[in-house]
Amino acid sequence: MGYKITKKENLSAIDFFMEVEAPHVARSWKPGQFVVLIVDEKGERVPMSVYYAEDGKIGMFIRRHGVTTFKLWYEKQVGDELLSVAGPLGKPIEVKYYGNVVFASDAVCAQAESYATLKAMKEAGNYTIAIQSFENKDNVYPEKFLAKPVADEHYLTTDDGSVGIKGHYLDVLKELIEKDKVDIVFAGGKLGSLKKLAELTRPYGIPTIVTVRQIMVDGTGMCGSCRILYDGQIKFACRDGPMFDAHKVDWDDVIKRDARFVEQQNLARERYLQKLREKGVI
Amino acid sequence: MVRKRPKLIKERVPTPERPVEERVKSFVEVNLGYDFASAVKEAERCLQCPVEYAPCIKGCPVHINIPGFIGKLVEHRDDPNKAVKEALRVIWGDNTLPAVTGRVCPQEEQCEMNCVMGKVGDPINIGKLERFVADYARKHSIEDELLAEMRPSVCGKGKVAVVGAGPAGLTCAGELAKLGYDVTIYEALHKPGGVLIYGIPEFRLPKEILDKEIAKLRELGVEIKLDHVVGKTVTLEELLEEYDAVFIGTGAGTPKLLNIPGILLDRIYSANEFLTRVNLMKAYKFPEYDEPIAVGKKTIVIGAGNTAMDAARSALRLGSEVTIAYRRGREDMTARIEEIQHAEEEGVKFEFFLNPVEFIGDENGRVKAVKFEKMKPLEERDKKGKRKIVGTGEYVTLEADTVIIAIGLEPNRIISEEATGLKVNPDGTLVVDENLMTSIPGVFAGGDAIRGEATVILAMGDGKRAAKAICDYIEKKRKANA
Ligand SMILES: Cc1cc2nc3c(=O)[nH]c(=O)nc-3n(C[C@H](O)[C@H](O)[C@H](O)COP(=O)(O)OP(=O)(O)OC[C@H]3O[C@@H](n4cnc5c(N)ncnc54)[C@H](O)[C@@H]3O)c2cc1C
Ligand SMILES: Cc1cc2nc3c(=O)[nH]c(=O)nc-3n(C[C@H](O)[C@H](O)[C@H](O)COP(=O)(O)OP(=O)(O)OC[C@H]3O[C@@H](n4cnc5c(N)ncnc54)[C@H](O)[C@@H]3O)c2cc1C
Ligand code: SF4
Ligand code: FES
Repeated sequence: MGYKITKKENLSAIDFFMEVEAPHVARSWKPGQFVVLIVDEKGERVPMSVYYAEDGKIGMFIRRHGVTTFKLWYEKQVGDELLSVAGPLGKPIEVKYYGNVVFASDAVCAQAESYATLKAMKEAGNYTIAIQSFENKDNVYPEKFLAKPVADEHYLTTDDGSVGIKGHYLDVLKELIEKDKVDIVFAGGKLGSLKKLAELTRPYGIPTIVTVRQIMVDGTGMCGSCRILYDGQIKFACRDGPMFDAHKVDWDDVIKRDARFVEQQNLARERYLQKLREKGVI
Repeated sequence: MVRKRPKLIKERVPTPERPVEERVKSFVEVNLGYDFASAVKEAERCLQCPVEYAPCIKGCPVHINIPGFIGKLVEHRDDPNKAVKEALRVIWGDNTLPAVTGRVCPQEEQCEMNCVMGKVGDPINIGKLERFVADYARKHSIEDELLAEMRPSVCGKGKVAVVGAGPAGLTCAGELAKLGYDVTIYEALHKPGGVLIYGIPEFRLPKEILDKEIAKLRELGVEIKLDHVVGKTVTLEELLEEYDAVFIGTGAGTPKLLNIPGILLDRIYSANEFLTRVNLMKAYKFPEYDEPIAVGKKTIVIGAGNTAMDAARSALRLGSEVTIAYRRGREDMTARIEEIQHAEEEGVKFEFFLNPVEFIGDENGRVKAVKFEKMKPLEERDKKGKRKIVGTGEYVTLEADTVIIAIGLEPNRIISEEATGLKVNPDGTLVVDENLMTSIPGVFAGGDAIRGEATVILAMGDGKRAAKAICDYIEKKRKANA
């Protein structure tokens, strides 16, 4: 049994879009939930956010990070199959009327979640604000993949100002908060930014719900790999999350645990790149 | 037939094992099992106690007709294929996964503990004989012949969904399929087997054997839907709409962690994470396989059950020195004796009466030592008959750059959180009645999901009992509707 790739498109210098047939996931997926996929027989289980789920297919945004995501980019084309797609996993976001809802994103998973979440929030009658941050203009996605269609207000920023506003979502958000325009913030992406975000909104008491990305294996609460310290207690990001109240997360520990396998990942990445070079793929 | 009084042979016919030096470097199976001639020799030692009172049968949680299958090996000793086929037919009457149970059951506490031969010498090596029958049958396609005979003549008696492809679910599915039901298994992971595939390492239970066991189910017409998490991908309610009954065999897969300082440090694994990376994802073959594992030079494993032994012996094979630290004494270890012996032979060290109180990290956030409180036993015993222990106020610190926590597991609550009508005990196990039916009519459960951490054979026993109860339930419903 395989899961067929139905679409694939480059998004930027680092990210790409992929659509896969996974009717069992698509039928029940809700914003906030994720999937775990395996590329091939030798592959590892990697969690991925979902950009949309419709007609038995799911769309994903993927960053070319290391072996798994390189394999997806270099080896898997439209028509090929993935070994496994499990899900949906994790708890959905509570979609209801909050007022002015912000989704702030500065990395691949969150760019996918931005669209999915705000779409649902808009349908629930909220005023939706997207702030999508990228490092520079080479990393910015084509317009059709941004959250613009589902955002009442849309801000695009780049760190170097090469496109859109110069700066980061934190800068834009600060202004919006000062203008008293924010009832709740959803966010995801770089862990370092999420830590800063928690400190930004805390003094204002603005509810801040973010994706806590942790290294996962099963994604169902079976292994404990994704454990975090939350409000002084151990929680599993896959089962109890992945969205948590940013103000209760111990961010220093989350950031440390994210680097657990860096040595192994670098070794594997170098080996894989060497193989691609030998084959003349790159 | 007048039975000749057998001569008492006190010693067991041994099974060969791979030499220690060789096995600590690889994940290939340690015990090599019997060949036909030595299996018959061991079988001949059996006194053939009458089935009605054979103590070995009483000791077996699923009451395999042990003298029955052993007798077949002796009776047809001139025709190995026939001997094995008849023996397997007897075993399959009660247990469809003998290649698994022959390897992982704690025989010394069950059948073999009760064996009358144990009073005068070594008990019959029942586990290894069971394993021999299964292995020989598989290698000589005898299973296929038997399966062909067993394939149900009537199908379409009803539709049953089984949740979880561990020993409980697999057994329940197999029994129902044999009885003519359409069965679909829903499994969260990308491979079926439950703990057998993700927890128990290859050196105890080669994956190839498990794959064959599961292929038998597919032969019987069971469909297995992988990557389906019930409670997320489909709800219990949806299953009940589509099926006549549901069996929940979701096991006890959630690791207990120690709530002590330093628990989030790098290289502190739960046994489940460690074993899943190594076994299911083949991290021992990294970087040929993509799943990484990081193990240092000195590993401490906390706990003393089968999980702890499996983790310790796996870490050893990944090149680490390993110490098992247990808060109680040697006699309280819950692992199978064979596993403890194998671990010792392979060089795993044991430390007793040490209770971890803190994990100490280095400047990079990686564990470098474990601080323990020394414990001492009291005369008083707890509910399980173990001596109670108390802290002494004295502490020791042992160096370790890898820690594996194997202090227990509890049921995963994914289904019970979603299906609100499902009654759950405080420890997360599902509430069932004497027919293994849960608080929701038509939903049955068994195995670790109702027992907490138990054993493979108990899970299989539940699967089988539930299959019968499901049959009765569906028949009754049918009659009521007719
Ligand atoms: C809930 C959740 C949603 C995610 N959504 C997306 C997404 O939409 N798009 C996307 O590109 N990535 C997403 N990720 C991260 C994704 O899992 C990693 O990109 C992927 O594992 C990288 O694998 P690799 O072999 O290519 O790179 P590696 O070289 O193995 O890893 C690169 C980095 O990815 C992270 N990572 C590695 N393995 C895992 C793992 N098993 N689980 C979680 N993180 C890991 C680590 O931070 C690591 O430093 C998500 C992670 C989580 C937890
Ligand atoms: C490392 C280790 C070693 C062991 N060694 C031994 C031994 O030597 N001898 C022995 O007798 N016992 C041993 N045990 C215990 C034994 O493995 C268990 O008692 C037995 O596997 C329980 O079987 P089960 O079918 O109830 O559950 P499991 O084997 O746990 O199987 C449950 C299955 O359900 C799936 N699942 C869970 N939730 C869902 C869901 N919501 N939807 C779909 N699927 C789901 C899981 O992925 C899993 O595949 C060991 C246990 C461990 C962890
Ligand atoms: S108790 Fe021992 S000797 Fe008696 S039938 Fe069982 S295995 Fe044979
Ligand atoms: S990924 Fe295994 S418990 Fe969360």
